[in-house]
Amino acid sequence: MTTRTQSEQQTSGGGHTETAEESSVRSTRDTDGNSDSDGDPLVTANEVDFAYGAVSVLEGVSVAIRPARITALIGPNGVGKTTLLQALAGLTDPSGGSITYHGPDTVRHIGYLPQNPAFRPGFSALETLEFYASLVGETDPHARLERVGLEAAADRRVEALSGGMTQLLGIAQATIGDPPLVALDEPASGLDPGMTTHVFDVAADLAATGTAVLLTSHDLDLVERTADEVILLDDGGVADQGSPSALLDRYEADSLWETYEAALTGDLHTVRVRGDSS
Amino acid sequence: MTDPESVPAESDGAHTKPSAATQIARVVERERKTVARTRTFAILGIGFTAVVLGLAWASGGTSGGYVPTVVGLLTPLELLVPILAMAFGYRAITGDADRGELDVLQTYPISAHQHVLGVYIGRAIGLLAVILASLALVAIAVVFLRTEPIGWYASHASTDSPILFARFAVLTALFAVAILAVAIAISAVAREARTVLALAVATLVVVLVGLDLALVYGLASGVIGEGSLIHAIAFSPLSAYRGLVFESVVVTAAGTGPQTAAPLSSVVGLLTWTIGSLAVATLAVRR
Repeated sequence: MTTRTQSEQQTSGGGHTETAEESSVRSTRDTDGNSDSDGDPLVTANEVDFAYGAVSVLEGVSVAIRPARITALIGPNGVGKTTLLQALAGLTDPSGGSITYHGPDTVRHIGYLPQNPAFRPGFSALETLEFYASLVGETDPHARLERVGLEAAADRRVEALSGGMTQLLGIAQATIGDPPLVALDEPASGLDPGMTTHVFDVAADLAATGTAVLLTSHDLDLVERTADEVILLDDGGVADQGSPSALLDRYEADSLWETYEAALTGDLHTVRVRGDSS
Repeated sequence: MTDPESVPAESDGAHTKPSAATQIARVVERERKTVARTRTFAILGIGFTAVVLGLAWASGGTSGGYVPTVVGLLTPLELLVPILAMAFGYRAITGDADRGELDVLQTYPISAHQHVLGVYIGRAIGLLAVILASLALVAIAVVFLRTEPIGWYASHASTDSPILFARFAVLTALFAVAILAVAIAISAVAREARTVLALAVATLVVVLVGLDLALVYGLASGVIGEGSLIHAIAFSPLSAYRGLVFESVVVTAAGTGPQTAAPLSSVVGLLTWTIGSLAVATLAVRR
């Protein structure tokens, strides 16, 4: 494991002021159309296979997740996005290959937002975060609510939160302990356009503070606008990957959707059934 | 509760991982609040208390004294306590798994055994509050309804004493937390709401009927000798509880009678069910 010095580790806080390093990361992508893939990876997957019984979902997948950027996993339903995200988050063991965490030795390595987050009924949003925060010795869960714009609902019971509020609470939970990697499984699922944009803005803020954000999404417009790195999964493996602009150049496309259509094999209107639901 | 390849640090400057005891206490508090805030548990508690008080009064035990009350309550509690304990525990971990919170908890620096222990203790607090409060009310009822004067010391035969009733309450609590541990194990193993209820019912049938039938079969077929029966009944938590109550309450009060159980074996039996079930739950959460 590579242990970074404290000064290298960007910790999150309330507001965000872009640092020179962050600015450099973004400008590198903006000027040459390629993401800076030379940075030290935080988590790497090396030739990862994943199977549910006899059903193979992923085969020989190798990817690297880097700090201070948003990495988006996209692909058709059933292609294994959730499986890969959970494997990279350390929640499931691959049936082959290896997942390695190279990040700093923090109290919490990885934050995780499940696809349809839900919380124990009977507790307020703030109480819910207080519980999780207490597990890592964090004392100000209210700041987490403020950061995602949910402070007005702090005292509301979780069962009374709207879908968007629950999603934001889930993101706030995922950031507790300032983990170097935050994995968000379809963070904008079922949300209206305004809330979807807000969720991606929160993800961008996280990346801007040095956190590696790994997310799955079907919203290709927002992925194109927000992600620094896109990993396109298809047919059990990585069909292509790169920055959105690099992918657009490679396929001579005007949008990530056109890239998506060009890169994928098979009928886009047919559900791929390899293993899990994502 | 794992991370890829490494164990989280105890401290990273901004955060310091709480001690294991503190983390268990946080989970206990979460479970305790859940029990206190869930209407179903309140209804169960009130219903259980009403039934126990009603049975104690209807059996005529309360007018006869503590030991007659124990004799009147023992058989109903053999049925009611497992059901109540199962109700308190069978959804404890399944609920978190259903909501995805079990996956979320895996990203925190809390081990599976800390989590399971916290859940168990938190639910046990609620369960024991209901059972012990009910039995305390029964004891109070005996004070007011009994027709014979109270004998405080159970030091000689034919003595009816609140100390004997207190023994009964402690043994009932021990029985309840053993079944609660089984319920927590079921909750961790099943993981899904659809299967956990079926598994809970099946387990109740096994605990309430199946294990006793197995003992009877073992005795009838000669697998269990008559001499070893008092030890063999420790295999069933229900029989262990019943035997302990007879040995330490009923027979003590009567001053005579055949040995109905081996108290040490029965206590070991209940503790084995408790610890074994929690170990199963821990393994299931860790998988």
